[in-house]
Amino acid sequence: MKSEEPLRRWRDADGTHIDVRGLPAPEPLVTILSLVRQVDEATRVIVHHDRDPQLLHVELAEIGWRAERIAGAPGEVRLCITRAP
Amino acid sequence: MKLAAGAFLGGAKSRLLPASVPFRFFGAAVVFHLLAWIAALRAAADWPGFAGGLGWPLAALHLVTLGVLAMTAIGASLQLLPVATRQPIRRVRGPALVWWLYAPGVAALALGMGTGAPALLAVGGGGVGAGLLLYAGLLAANLLGARGMPGIVAHGWAALAALVVVLVTAASLVATYLGMPLLDRRAALALHVAFAGYGFMGLLALGLAYLLVPMFALAPAPDARLQLVSWGSAVIALCCAGAAALGVLPVALRVVAIGAGAIATGLHLALMRRALCAGMRKDLGVSFALVRTGWTGLVVSLLAALGVALDAPVPGLPLLFGLLLVGVWLLSFVLGILQRILPFLASMHAAVGKHRPPTPSSFTRRRPLVLHFACHLSALAAMALAIVTASPLLAELAAAAGTIGALAYAAFFATLVRRLAAPVRPSALPAKA
Repeated sequence: MKSEEPLRRWRDADGTHIDVRGLPAPEPLVTILSLVRQVDEATRVIVHHDRDPQLLHVELAEIGWRAERIAGAPGEVRLCITRAP
Repeated sequence: MKLAAGAFLGGAKSRLLPASVPFRFFGAAVVFHLLAWIAALRAAADWPGFAGGLGWPLAALHLVTLGVLAMTAIGASLQLLPVATRQPIRRVRGPALVWWLYAPGVAALALGMGTGAPALLAVGGGGVGAGLLLYAGLLAANLLGARGMPGIVAHGWAALAALVVVLVTAASLVATYLGMPLLDRRAALALHVAFAGYGFMGLLALGLAYLLVPMFALAPAPDARLQLVSWGSAVIALCCAGAAALGVLPVALRVVAIGAGAIATGLHLALMRRALCAGMRKDLGVSFALVRTGWTGLVVSLLAALGVALDAPVPGLPLLFGLLLVGVWLLSFVLGILQRILPFLASMHAAVGKHRPPTPSSFTRRRPLVLHFACHLSALAAMALAIVTASPLLAELAAAAGTIGALAYAAFFATLVRRLAAPVRPSALPAKA
């Protein structure tokens, strides 16, 4: 069962989810990086996005994290962000 | 289920122009930056008394405005606006054609100005005009399809309108040298300076800053309503300056224009300050030292403009105003932003097809950028002093410092391109946890 939190963030069995769809640039980037800085290194962050976040990969690389696309709802870009091995 | 990283990055690439397109604009800007300081060095004896007309001072000025400022703005806006306004890249040939028309045009125009050859000036002006018109069409198409970001889009439309004024007045000024004046030269010149410096380039710089500064500082987007209030004040300022240039209440409307410009600037800088304070990334390095220098130049340029409007008894004030507007505000800002954009863009292109993208910092060399910053500031300060004291020697020293700085900036760019072209080394990858 999902536990809804403000700012469209919730925890689920597969990790901490954040929905940044509809936010203007650079809010998605800032919101995701802010969350990544808050969670511990073992946590998976699942991002629900409406477009390809090009800069996110570059910013994640700078802090030793990475994002991979996973299956999501139609029209959604869903990413799984983990600490880079 | 995980998808292949390449598939994701392939999608990401749809909003990236091929690397060769933006990098040819940025590379040309780096080369023209160096040529501008070399032309300034050649014109050192003429700087203190420069009041317009063909010659190397005019060539140096246009190598900066067209060769560095507009060249960078074109490359940056063609690449960044589709990302900001959530549109795929539809046209690749158009941006490439802009470069092929525009870059040789700038070179011919500057050579025509420097050598006092009106025919070459006209040929170069034709290339520059054609390139800018094509760019205007591409920018308009992008703005028409934009979703969200009303502040940035409004700045884009106003910059386009200003560009029309700049092109018409430029055509008139070139025609004057061919013996076929279209507009009164004094009015055309006043319109050209205001609408090129504060209009086209200024509005693009302010508008793109609402995207770029929060992006680099990792801060929330600035308040869109305040962006629009600042934009409205800037547009009122330009309209008043335009009317004054055409002879309508020249002193009074110039003062009103400067007042409205000051409101626009104050609001913009307050939004920028808020973004920098709220940002997660506090250390923005030497690039933002340049950006802050630029912002200071913007404020002081308005004070100098007021002095010019009120005919204040300061030696060389009109020339000082030009230095503050073009050199301190726009050139510092653009070079600061460019040195921040380049590593990010290189990293995004290098990421395609790779599981772990190389970091932006792996493309940057700090030492040349620090040297450039020191030389840039020294050159501007010495040039200001040269103007006030009417000293050709100081102007020569200023241009020499600027040339060294431009060489250092070119070394930074060359290293970045070399690293982008080379296979990714393990040291370029992010450190393991």
